[in-house]
Amino acid sequence: MFEGIRILLVEDNEINCEMLARRLTRAGLSVITAADGQQALQMMASEQPALVLMDMNLPVLDGWSACRQARLDAHLKDIPIIALTAHAMETDRKSALAAGCDDYATKPIDFPELMAKIQRLLPA
Amino acid sequence: MSDNSTDSDALWSHPLRGAITDVRALAAVTGEPLPAAAAEDLQRVFKLAVTLDQQLAANSSRHDIMNTLAAIRGYTEMLLEDIGHSQPKLNDSLIALLQAIAKADAATEPAVESLDTGTSTGTSANTNSALAAEPGFILAVDDLAENRELVARYLSRSGHLVVTAASGAEALRTLADTDVDVVLLDLMMPDMDGREVLSRIKANPDWRATPVIVISGSQDMDGIIACIEAGADDYLFKPFNPVLLQARIKAGIERKRWHDREEQYRQQLERNEKFIRATFGRYLSDEIVTDILERPEGLELGGDLREVTIMMSDIRGFTSLSEHLAPAEVVAMLNRYLGTMTDIIMAHNGTIDEFIGDAILTVFGAPQRRDDDADRAVRCALAMQAAMEGINADNQAAGLPALTTGIALNTGAVIAGNIGSERRSKYGFVGHPMNVTSRIEDHCEGGEILISDSTAVALSGNYTLSNRRELDARGLDRIVVVHRIEEATHV
Repeated sequence: MFEGIRILLVEDNEINCEMLARRLTRAGLSVITAADGQQALQMMASEQPALVLMDMNLPVLDGWSACRQARLDAHLKDIPIIALTAHAMETDRKSALAAGCDDYATKPIDFPELMAKIQRLLPA
Repeated sequence: MSDNSTDSDALWSHPLRGAITDVRALAAVTGEPLPAAAAEDLQRVFKLAVTLDQQLAANSSRHDIMNTLAAIRGYTEMLLEDIGHSQPKLNDSLIALLQAIAKADAATEPAVESLDTGTSTGTSANTNSALAAEPGFILAVDDLAENRELVARYLSRSGHLVVTAASGAEALRTLADTDVDVVLLDLMMPDMDGREVLSRIKANPDWRATPVIVISGSQDMDGIIACIEAGADDYLFKPFNPVLLQARIKAGIERKRWHDREEQYRQQLERNEKFIRATFGRYLSDEIVTDILERPEGLELGGDLREVTIMMSDIRGFTSLSEHLAPAEVVAMLNRYLGTMTDIIMAHNGTIDEFIGDAILTVFGAPQRRDDDADRAVRCALAMQAAMEGINADNQAAGLPALTTGIALNTGAVIAGNIGSERRSKYGFVGHPMNVTSRIEDHCEGGEILISDSTAVALSGNYTLSNRRELDARGLDRIVVVHRIEEATHV
């Protein structure tokens, strides 16, 4: 059902990035990756992914800042972003949503739940 | 603050490690080879487990630990999808691993962060579970019902057992009845106030170790300082932050657990000491037992070669003597004699090896060597001969015959140690010098003390020696020179 849909995974932790990319690929998605916020913005512009999964604690440019900048960019503002963080605090959820993320998932990721969120946010 | 996360890490990481070990064991014995991709994922999980261990040991950030947990979970779920159905046992242990990860996830919720941001209302259930890692038995003392209920609700929600008391008197009754981990004590109460309750708790030896957290209604720092000086362990001002309350309760419980463990250890030591005293006390003087107990390295009873002075005493003709007496008379006479002799030997710090009928085998210089071993042995022998007069006076008064004893002393190297079997063993001595002493004893006459040349050489005091003899007894491979000792000229 996700065949041919390209999403961007932004994650600086290599092993997690690799793991999640594989799972998403197995689910049928086409996955491209970025390792920091700056790179993520560039790839969002050049690759126009259908959706972005973004870790919030990122080097160079953190996830919140990247998200905020994307929302200010006419070419990027409509790309849905799901925040990934290790923090389960209510404040973290709020700050991610305040930065312009469309949804939020906590690590360790509940994969079926993440897939449901992705499905909900993908353009029909 | 980092202590909190370390503690909860330790609690959840054990089941997680256990689950990984199980998976590893199953993967090693699995019948058919795994698909290459699955085998690779399995290796990844194991590698990540090592990474997790390192992160826990290095007290890494929650972010890093969560990333590792996330990766373990992802690969485990993929493994479950790929091979779970074909290998039921591996399937089960992978599920157990996922459950352990879920627990870890809940346990590592950042409890401390909510403290920093002061979000007392936003306290999630997860935050509570991390702080209340170890549930305790809490006594909350407050005269106001609503305060008691509030505290009880906060603390029982996080797994603690809470009992309340509405007055100081009620609190003391509860303490007497139950083993409380932490007392939460309001200072402002009618009748018996918090200060009074605190001083009574700290004056009671059974309760002294129970941590007391005092709660003050006002920012009365002087009052708090006075309480801490009176033995309070911690304090809170009203209205208190529930998270702060949890943290203090947790610290209090930990303190109590430490004390309990320490107390257990102390009692164990006490039992050991009692055992050693009971075991050795019968044949060692109190002084030597105390000395052994106080030595940090303890006493090596494994067996070693020691230079000792051996003393053997024997009542002359006791066997034929006892044939003419009633059994009860024999025992009474023997016990009077052995009792007196034991006291004298103990007073000279001799180690009684054994009583063989009427004979006493004593060693000076083991388990503890002293410079005056030979001298003490000689003084002991002289004191024993001197005591015979009193024993015989008692015997005569009881219509019993007079006794005479012969004492032999010999100095040499023997093996000392716990000798025997699993079922029965004792601290004892073996070696040629033991046999030599026995042979010398055979040549002693009543009232006589014979010492071997080796003992004479070891003496530092001056004694009058006489009647030098050469013994060529059976069982001896060489002639033994002995002397009769008369008395100490000066010691």
